[in-house]
Amino acid sequence: MFKQLRFKIEKRKHVSSLVQLISLSAAIILSVLITGLLMYVGKVNIGAGFIALFDGAFGSWKACVETLLKATPLILTGLATVIAFRARIWNIGQESQLYFGAIMAYLAYTQFIFLPPIILIPIIILFAIIGGAICGFIPAMIKAKFAVDEIITTIMMNYIVTYFLSLLLSTVWKDPNHYYEQSPTILEKFRFPILLENNRLHLGFILAIIATVIIFLLISKTPLGYEIKAMGLNPIAAKFKGINLIKTMVIVMMISGALSGLAGAGELFGVIFRLKSTISLGYGYTGIIIAMLAGLEPLAVVPVAILFGGLLNGSFLLQTTTNIPSSLVYVIQAIVLLFFLSARAISNYRLRIVANDQ
Amino acid sequence: MTSPRDVIDYHPVLLETKNLTKRFQNVVANDNVSLNFRKGEIHCLLGENGAGKTTLAECIYGFYRIDSGEIHYKGKKVDLTSPSHAVKLGIGMVHQHFVLIRPFSVIENIAISSLEKKFLLDLTPTKKKMESLCEKYGIKMDLNAKIWQLSVGEQQWVEILKAVFNGVELLILDEPTAALTPKEVDKLFVVLQQMKEQGLSVIFVTHKLQEVIKFSDRVSVLRKGKFIDTFNTSDVTQEQLARKMVGRDVVLQITKKRVPIGEPFFELVNLSAANDRGQEGLRGASFKLHKGEILGFAGVAGNGQKELFEVLAGVRKIQAGEILFNGKSIKNQSPAEIRKRGVAHIPDDRINEGLIMDFTVAENLILGSQRDLENRKGIFLNRNQILINARNLIQLFSIVPPTPTTQTKHLSGGNLQKVILARELNRKLECVIANQPTRGLDVGVIEYIHKRLLDLRKEHVGILLFSEDLDELFALSDRIAVMYCGKIIRIFNTLETNMEEIGLCMAGIDGKMECSNN
Repeated sequence: MFKQLRFKIEKRKHVSSLVQLISLSAAIILSVLITGLLMYVGKVNIGAGFIALFDGAFGSWKACVETLLKATPLILTGLATVIAFRARIWNIGQESQLYFGAIMAYLAYTQFIFLPPIILIPIIILFAIIGGAICGFIPAMIKAKFAVDEIITTIMMNYIVTYFLSLLLSTVWKDPNHYYEQSPTILEKFRFPILLENNRLHLGFILAIIATVIIFLLISKTPLGYEIKAMGLNPIAAKFKGINLIKTMVIVMMISGALSGLAGAGELFGVIFRLKSTISLGYGYTGIIIAMLAGLEPLAVVPVAILFGGLLNGSFLLQTTTNIPSSLVYVIQAIVLLFFLSARAISNYRLRIVANDQ
Repeated sequence: MTSPRDVIDYHPVLLETKNLTKRFQNVVANDNVSLNFRKGEIHCLLGENGAGKTTLAECIYGFYRIDSGEIHYKGKKVDLTSPSHAVKLGIGMVHQHFVLIRPFSVIENIAISSLEKKFLLDLTPTKKKMESLCEKYGIKMDLNAKIWQLSVGEQQWVEILKAVFNGVELLILDEPTAALTPKEVDKLFVVLQQMKEQGLSVIFVTHKLQEVIKFSDRVSVLRKGKFIDTFNTSDVTQEQLARKMVGRDVVLQITKKRVPIGEPFFELVNLSAANDRGQEGLRGASFKLHKGEILGFAGVAGNGQKELFEVLAGVRKIQAGEILFNGKSIKNQSPAEIRKRGVAHIPDDRINEGLIMDFTVAENLILGSQRDLENRKGIFLNRNQILINARNLIQLFSIVPPTPTTQTKHLSGGNLQKVILARELNRKLECVIANQPTRGLDVGVIEYIHKRLLDLRKEHVGILLFSEDLDELFALSDRIAVMYCGKIIRIFNTLETNMEEIGLCMAGIDGKMECSNN
């Protein structure tokens, strides 16, 4: 009997860790290949390009610490996305929450500047958290009261807060000695303490790690985390069994906002030292990519954020040693995201060769 | 008229399985199954949950690929590679769990499943054909209604119509009557008889013995994945089939002890609420429930039962009227508050309303009680205690597999229901509200659930039992309330009524149509 072979795609009942490992490795290799292709198109020596990328990220002790510094806000915005997305609340407003956190932190700084740093810095952190939470609370309430999709309201918040900041910086908080829209510099004694000699890594990194542990415990070990997951996986059953979906949604949005707000304070008081509209280099949006790559697992956010921090730093060195613009990093981020998400989707299926009787 | 049962032996074989085996990892779902289905017969596949009926059906439908053995269709060996392949050959299937697109209308769902795919979607011919089909089979349905607006029974009709629309020759129905009212079941029987007379074959997957007897020409029994035997239905009794199916004797008749009925404690007064379509789902429903009483609710699907259940569960807002629980109003209280008063809910839609399929069994067992002190250690969940409780409940309710960390989605229908029962019933209760608690389950589990409910009744728990199975209502209820058009039109004392009377009342053609309590 003549048999014709053909392929058939089947859904796997169980995805083994080996399959996951293979598909993720494939994603990494493909990402590297496409990035290399881009360098080739840009007429750069591919080897030198990758070496620059790696050296900038992890090539030296200093580079490593700088990478952790870059990872700090990304860890926080990544966590902010994780907790929201676990509840299936599509918070895209991390950018606004980050900025509003920074605005509130700066407000605390200007209002309580007479206090000693040991007291003022905690107050600054608290204000940043409250600021981010407020900024998450507003779209949550709009959704609760008028059932407006949070994707739209959180994106709109990003614009509202950015322009509000611009307004502040061109009026009350403008540095009189500068032409630009920016505040005066933060007094040295109120800056976040440095963790290591001769480096820039600051208190914010420790806060980000603490936040990671807290969010991990919250999601996996507490009743609230249980309710968040239940709501995300089956809101109907959750509602039937007495989980208040609106209340949980508001809480999640406030926690999510608070995390981004903390990131804002870290950048303002640990890196930039001036309130201005370029505090975040799209950290809010990168946080979403990081959370997706981390599979919405809080603990996985840290390594992914460090990888992305490294990519950012590496791309700066790439720009100085070759003439590829550092914005290549955003292309790489997108490539990595696409391949990883594809890999995860594909690993749920398998290809089978089947015989067709003729 | 010659009975088709007499001539069925002479009908040619349409589909035959030879030593069909299907494994899932280590579980053998079908073990060397060899049986045949003839042209123009209604053939029941009978077996308990987990006996492998659905798996066998899914293999014939090309949804699963068989591991070994052969399937012969119209005398030729076929290698079914996909459901669409099967449909092309003329094998159609209606699943137990619906595969409908909920935001789409009935017509859109039919059009999408249609074999005649055109580049431009023109719904007019589909609609015309559907209207004539509905008329032919006497089905009344709003073809423009969205699926989510339909009751479970109506959704089942859409599924059946979908297959009929595509003109199948062998129609597999997986527990088709589970969601239908007795009247709708009768209608289905009429439709299938017509289809059969036109030369169609029907495979009817079921575990309801009455249906097998009433309805089929032949019946094949499966037990634990193995094929037991095929019988001409006219040659066997329910008891014989039950024995073949379970491998032991089963109590088909429930013996209900008389329990003195206590004080009324739960009262509904002229309750009104909207349905999903914004129309009046409930228009002034009233009843009183006594302690230690089972109050059954009969009615054709879509007459307000779903809305009433949801109001009582606290997930549907009340527009007018009052709910009194031990004399206090619990109107528009949250599900959590109602739960705290000792009210348990068993929803009809286990998968969507009762469980979180991606959670483990242990996690589902604390759904609703996740903040109770027994499940907590400080601010954290007490994982060890939760697992210990889960193991106890799993043993107490004989849930299979007996591991609390299994993902709930891997459980069979009967075990899913047991998880819900374990969660809902294993605490101090005053009232149980059960919606179709035995729908789609096998006799073993049904027997078990009935026993549980009767035990609760003995403990003076008041029970509201919504069921589309009149036998069940008559066997369990002390009184039977009939719902019609969003009202409770009459409440009968079970001992003083009969199925005919209830059936007439359900159809709304009872002469004395006034709202009465007691």
